[in-house]
Amino acid sequence: MSEPTDRPTGTRNLSLDTWAVLLAFLLAALVRLGLLKSIPW
Amino acid sequence: MSDAILQAKTQAPPFLARLASLVPGIALLATVGLLGKLLEQTINGYCKAHRIVFPNIEYVLWAILIGLVIANFTRIPEVFQAGIATYEFWLKVGIVLLGSRFVLGDVLKLGGISLILVVVEIAGSLALMLWLGRLFGLKPKLASLLAVGTSVCGVSAIIAAQAAIDADDEDSALAIAAILALGAFALFAFPVVGHFLHMSDRSFGVWTGLAVDNTAETIASGAIYSDMAGKVAILVKTARNAMIGFVVLGFAIHGSRRGLTGQVQSRTAFLVAKFPRFVLGFLAVSLLLSLHAFSREQVAALANLSRWAFLLTFAGIGLRMDFRRLFRQGLRPFAVGALGEVLIAFLTLGLVIGANAVWKI
Repeated sequence: MSEPTDRPTGTRNLSLDTWAVLLAFLLAALVRLGLLKSIPW
Repeated sequence: MSDAILQAKTQAPPFLARLASLVPGIALLATVGLLGKLLEQTINGYCKAHRIVFPNIEYVLWAILIGLVIANFTRIPEVFQAGIATYEFWLKVGIVLLGSRFVLGDVLKLGGISLILVVVEIAGSLALMLWLGRLFGLKPKLASLLAVGTSVCGVSAIIAAQAAIDADDEDSALAIAAILALGAFALFAFPVVGHFLHMSDRSFGVWTGLAVDNTAETIASGAIYSDMAGKVAILVKTARNAMIGFVVLGFAIHGSRRGLTGQVQSRTAFLVAKFPRFVLGFLAVSLLLSLHAFSREQVAALANLSRWAFLLTFAGIGLRMDFRRLFRQGLRPFAVGALGEVLIAFLTLGLVIGANAVWKI
């Protein structure tokens, strides 16, 4: 039950690359599920 | 009230506090990017309405120029710096999302051709830069960093190689400064040369993907030329980025054999650790597209999300390009880098012409 101290360390271990991929996947999932529909440009 | 702020600050989790510190810089990136977009639309609209013949200058170039002016003629307050540095993060988000514009078959076809060209480019560039480094009397580690930066993927390759060959921070800073300054020059020079040579969008995309060092500048240079050239440049550059682990591993093994660095424990673990995750993300999204996971409207939405991510990236390219700071680092690495870049530009142009003749890219 030492999560509060462990969690930040795990978070810090993720590289910038990995965070970018995770955000892109999240956005793709939101689009796929219809939660993000039309994105203007 | 100040007590309440102080209490809130001490109680805020570090992760959230770090996120909050990024907000001003990201807001600046968005403002500069949107200004670029506004300028493009206004100028195009004005020229159309008044029937003035004026070349269509993409928002990419405007955003970079506005950023350059801000970075070089003002002093950007410290509070913006952390957020501005996220431009590389947005670049990678944009590349992964751009996977939705490529069916995996196209990726494998053009990526396969690119990989052959990339291997030739990397071998040629490494040999050339190491030779130039010796010729100009640069320290071997500085020459190695410049060689890695020019042959693979600019700043991230230099950072990866710095740890692998135990180079000191000063060498790394010199190599990064040279790569960034030369990247800024290439960003503007390549489209001019491409238009002068009447290159097709695909040929130009392949050329910039092979020759321009830093990923952000590669994509910007392609996007300045045309949307298609930008897409192809991303694909070729992604293939080039995928080679980073192999090149850095080669330098690490060479260094340890000469007793300059420690032993490489596991080559596989080294390659896995150095392989860019966003390349895998790009391939995964492309695979989902090929499996028809997204409708046409969803693909359009993903493409626009990717454009917004690139808008932040292009603003960041200009904002972090402070030439005063870059040229303070000394001129010799710039001279070696500049000479090398010109020769590499010719080498890669030859490769593109050859590939066009053989594969009709």
